[in-house]
Amino acid sequence: MSPEQFASTGAALKWLLGLAWLLPLAGFCIEVLGGYWTDRRSRAPAWLAVGCIGGGFVLSTIAFVTWGSATHWGAFAVVDDHHGDAHARGQSPDAAPAAVTGAQAPAAPAEHGHPHDGPPHGHDAAHASSPYAFALSGSFYNLATFGGLSIDIDYYIDSLTIVMFMMVTLIATCIHLFAMGYMSDELTDNYEDHEVHLPGGRHFHRPGRYYRFFSYLSLFCFAMLGLVLAGNIFQVFVFWELVGVCSYLLIGFYVERKSASTAANKAFVMNRVGDFGFLIGLMILWTWFGTFRFANTDPAQPGAPGLFQMVRDADGHIHEHGAGLDRAVVLNDGLGGAAVDAASGQPRSIPFWLLIAAGLGIFAGCIGKSAQFPLQTWLPDAMEGPTPVSALVHSATMVAAGVYLAGRFYPMFVPEVLLVIAYIGCITLFIGATIAIVVTDIKRVLAYSTISQLGYMMLALGVGGWFAGLFHLITHAFFKSLMFLASGSVIHGCHHVQDMQEMGGLRRKMPITAWAMLVGVIAIAGLAIPTPWMAIAFSGYHSKDAILATSLAFMSQNRQHFLLFLLPLATAGITAFYMFRLWFMTFSGKPRNQHVYDHAHESPWIMLGPLVILSVFAAVCAVGGEGGPLARMLFASEPTQAVAGAAVAGTVAVNLPGHALIHEYHTTAGIAALLAALTGAVLSYVFYGAGLVNPATIRSQLSGLHSFLIEKWEFDALYDAMFVRPVHVVARWAQGFDQKYLDGFLHATGRAVVWISKWDRKFDETVVDRAVNVVGDATYAAGASLRRLQTGRLRQYVMFIAFGVLGLFLLMFAFLPR
Amino acid sequence: MTVTQLLDRFISVDLLRSLEIFCPELILSATVVLLLLCRMIGVDRRIPACWIALAGSLAAFLGVVVQLRFMQSPGLELPSDFFGWAIGGAVRGLAALFHLTEEGVGTPGPYFTGLMMHDALAVMFRLGLLLLLVLTLSLTVLTGLPDQEDGADFYTLLLGAVVGMLMATGVNHLLMLFLSIEMMSVPSYAMVGYLKGRRQSSEAALKFVVYGAGSAGVMLYGLSLLAGLFGTANFHEFAARFTVAMAGEPFSLTSGVVILTLLGVAMLFVGIAFKLSLVPFHFWCPDAFEGASAEVAGFLSIASKAAVFGALLRFATAFTGDGESIRQLTSYLGVGLAVVGAASMTLGNLAAYTQSNLKRMLAYSTIAHAGYMVLAVAAMMVFRSAAPGGLLGSRDPLQESVLAVEGLIYYLAVYLFMNLMAFAAVAFIRNETYREDIDACRGLITGNFWTQLVCVALLLSFASLIGIPPLGGFFAKFLIFRSIFVAGYLHPVLWGVLAIAGLNTVISLFYYFRVMRAVFILPRAENQRPLEMPGVVAAYSVIIALPIFLLGASPLQARLSETARAISASLFY
Repeated sequence: MSPEQFASTGAALKWLLGLAWLLPLAGFCIEVLGGYWTDRRSRAPAWLAVGCIGGGFVLSTIAFVTWGSATHWGAFAVVDDHHGDAHARGQSPDAAPAAVTGAQAPAAPAEHGHPHDGPPHGHDAAHASSPYAFALSGSFYNLATFGGLSIDIDYYIDSLTIVMFMMVTLIATCIHLFAMGYMSDELTDNYEDHEVHLPGGRHFHRPGRYYRFFSYLSLFCFAMLGLVLAGNIFQVFVFWELVGVCSYLLIGFYVERKSASTAANKAFVMNRVGDFGFLIGLMILWTWFGTFRFANTDPAQPGAPGLFQMVRDADGHIHEHGAGLDRAVVLNDGLGGAAVDAASGQPRSIPFWLLIAAGLGIFAGCIGKSAQFPLQTWLPDAMEGPTPVSALVHSATMVAAGVYLAGRFYPMFVPEVLLVIAYIGCITLFIGATIAIVVTDIKRVLAYSTISQLGYMMLALGVGGWFAGLFHLITHAFFKSLMFLASGSVIHGCHHVQDMQEMGGLRRKMPITAWAMLVGVIAIAGLAIPTPWMAIAFSGYHSKDAILATSLAFMSQNRQHFLLFLLPLATAGITAFYMFRLWFMTFSGKPRNQHVYDHAHESPWIMLGPLVILSVFAAVCAVGGEGGPLARMLFASEPTQAVAGAAVAGTVAVNLPGHALIHEYHTTAGIAALLAALTGAVLSYVFYGAGLVNPATIRSQLSGLHSFLIEKWEFDALYDAMFVRPVHVVARWAQGFDQKYLDGFLHATGRAVVWISKWDRKFDETVVDRAVNVVGDATYAAGASLRRLQTGRLRQYVMFIAFGVLGLFLLMFAFLPR
Repeated sequence: MTVTQLLDRFISVDLLRSLEIFCPELILSATVVLLLLCRMIGVDRRIPACWIALAGSLAAFLGVVVQLRFMQSPGLELPSDFFGWAIGGAVRGLAALFHLTEEGVGTPGPYFTGLMMHDALAVMFRLGLLLLLVLTLSLTVLTGLPDQEDGADFYTLLLGAVVGMLMATGVNHLLMLFLSIEMMSVPSYAMVGYLKGRRQSSEAALKFVVYGAGSAGVMLYGLSLLAGLFGTANFHEFAARFTVAMAGEPFSLTSGVVILTLLGVAMLFVGIAFKLSLVPFHFWCPDAFEGASAEVAGFLSIASKAAVFGALLRFATAFTGDGESIRQLTSYLGVGLAVVGAASMTLGNLAAYTQSNLKRMLAYSTIAHAGYMVLAVAAMMVFRSAAPGGLLGSRDPLQESVLAVEGLIYYLAVYLFMNLMAFAAVAFIRNETYREDIDACRGLITGNFWTQLVCVALLLSFASLIGIPPLGGFFAKFLIFRSIFVAGYLHPVLWGVLAIAGLNTVISLFYYFRVMRAVFILPRAENQRPLEMPGVVAAYSVIIALPIFLLGASPLQARLSETARAISASLFY
């Protein structure tokens, strides 16, 4: 992209996406301020919020078209050249395993463009895998500069940003529309909360909070869009925290319910634990790199590299030297050479272990936000919020933020960090799926399924499948929001009954919801009809297939990490099992609770409309699989090193698979995944659909395991014993110490300060006044006419001048050297 | 050189340029004369005096703007973009109107045969002072302080005081120092006692007068000592004369020159400390402010401080230079100033605690703030005393002293708005409730929309006075504290002073927030109706309060910081 083109496209995208980002904030401000004066029964806030986020979607779409035409749709064309071949080779079932040279197979050097340091390339010269070919970076506004530290509001726009923008705004628009129906019982001046019991058997009454709900939703969307648009890691952190605050507000929306406020606190505190790591990462980055920017792709500013460009050269390689603790990574200056410290003239470098620590720190933040092991326990509790919130939190926004950041920050992760990510993801996906088998609350099944699916994404990122992870992020967002909204529709239709044991047979009462849910279930389970050319499947199949292919390729290179393939494969079966269990228990069979069934009704169209839209997207958003438009968009942002793979012989020997290798394993993985999913689905039908086996028998036979799973692997109990109780003990000690010593000290200090001020006041008023009185009395005796003017006080004042001068002299000469 | 020769040279070489530079003072003086004339022939019945005064002040303000433009680009080049071109053209027109030329106003240097100094620092201080004058005038118009009958008198006094202040920013000679301080003091005595009917006001004025007379006497004594010792009253020659007089003697108590110099400086400092209301010469301040009207108190607390700080900067730099003995003197004076500053802020903040009268509380608050500001001068002195390549390491002492003065200028610029806002709010509250104590503010927020705006503006002002980021006050304090910290490397006593200053910032929080609590949290007393301030009052508050915010959290912060640095550099290079 030439500098002129860069500038004009950058300006256009900056304002399009910037406006899409700021619109929800405008909505929030208007609602918060206007909420006071509007009627609580007005739907205007909802329409305003929908208008803002819908406008955001329109702007994002325009931005997509702008970006595409500016790059002459290069992202699509180039992927086709490079990727189509490999893809076809990997997909054709009868392709003999070609000569696999292993993950180390270096990509031909010619494949890597040098978009940021060479002469400006045309779009066709730049390779899809060069990460900055279609990326636009720049700055909105400089907030403050402290010495070398510059805090900016930057933007970084590449195809991933645009895809995320379209996904977030589209899903959020659907959820806003859905919420207009779902929250309509808040449209009252006197809302009765049936979950809050007051003494005397009464329920809690309060004014409705319709407008408040929508203002929070708007703020939430603003925060998430800001996070996606952010051009530096510090800005990400700011919006990261804003997302946290919004989730706190929304999870605790029914603040009078103890469970809701506790859940909100839990989500907030758990996230803080992760953010602590994030902060450490930020400190390391700032200290060693001196910048927070991701990358600077502006051809008009060569030699001002961002983080990614400093760590990796144009080919995605890290240059390091030394061994052990002295091992260090040389930083690049973005022009093809090593960065040089201005003061000492030495080449700049960062110790390798610090790079690991920074990566792990940032990832710790992602663990908290994306509810990964060991911080996953907040997410199921977050179901206390209204269902549209759950849908938003669990698909497009909050939890997606963690995965998005892990993907965005991918070039900074060295293989050691990636291995940690992979294992964390692997453990998480297994834990989440196993618990989901036994849970009976319809929303909680989905919650645990979210944890599990996020684990898949992290696993994919960790084993070198950058594309697979983010691909799954997008597809998952669609089908998971669909399922949440469908479950919301069920809950709404059943008058706030959430337990699946009370449901059954609802298909007849709410057919559209049932079919929409089935689309989501098939998508997440990954069922497909394989044909020799391509699989006919919903979106989830393609992305899960990509993940499993990557992890199989990874396992083929690193035999000792076999769990990283086997557990996800098994979990694919479990996923199908519990998702179909949910559908069968809810929608098929006989009603288990006749009362609930009799009163159940289909939801109004304002809620069904979004369901239909989302089912269409859940079904077809990944159409074409890895050759489809969505996949190509993502490939265009893929970091360089993810393409070629990497061989590492460091502290932990890990070989990351490259594209070529992954495609060798694609068919095998796809068949295995499909078999696992089919097994799960069939088993589920046997248990819950046809009723051939009574689940209760199995449950009683495996009662130990069942209760272990019901208790969520005892994590809450474990954390209670590990952290909460010790903290209580320490807190009691601290309280004792506090009351005895600190309070004593503070009280003494307080008394002393009060005493000093009193004394000071006395000095300034009483002493002077008394002296004045004395002098005044004397003057009173002496003369009558001047007594009222209080000349005494004046004399006193003048005397103070003399005293002051004298004191000044004395002090000066006392300290003068002799 | 005989007086005649001197006079000849003055008229032939210097006069025209001096008069050009003196143009704002001349405009103000002409306005004063005009005011008195109007009163004499009775025009003031048709044209209120305030408009004449306002017109005069605005003219003087524009004159200084042109002077500043000359300082920035001597030839008044027109920038290429349209707005720059338009503004530049307007400035050119004004320059022609005031007969200002590049040779005159555009060249920095001494004028009036070296009695005064013309540089960017002086111009900037004058600009601020005249801005304050305009704002104060508008405030008095809003609150209706002087009535139709007394308007001319009041504005005469106000403008007269400002002439003295303008002169103080450029002093280069002991005599001018004394004259300008007296020139600003005498009208302010009368202004404090302006509320003629009130006994308290007259009493305050009397105290002020007597106290001022006493300190002026001491100051004159010091002045004569210094002039006698050095044989000159010109600031520029002090350092060299001191080195000569020391003649290699050690800097100690045994040296008569040292004792005499210190005595002279200390006595002169008494006069300055009186105007700055530094401890222990602050006794007049609470009484005078309590007795004066809030508008006058606000004006005095800012304007006379700013002007005298300008003079203090010049006086302090007079005692800096190369040479071992002069370095020791500079360092000694710097540390002494820092100690005085620390004492001031501690006493001011502690005493403010127990006050129930708003103006009295604010008076103690100004004492404390003078303490913070004088720390900047102290840091500057300590940096100037550093030998190159000493304890400061890679930092350049001269550059550091520029930064210290930058802190002071930044502080004064923010202080102008935040303190004026505080006093203006007191005036507004007084106009509505006829009371000035903290209880009168209870439940102010329950008033109409305009009242609420004033409350928010007051909150901004107080938060900035405390130094809460991202308001301007925070950056001001931060700059000064930073300088003091760096200066601590040279003289560890300053680290102690820094600790005291930090502690004081915390202490100050309580009494400011006591007022805020009354305004925002406490309910209105039973028998009081909610206030209904007029919209124009709120508009004024917004105009004053906005810069407090903008000078903190906006690009203007960097602009002001850069400008302040460039200006303070003009003092040294």
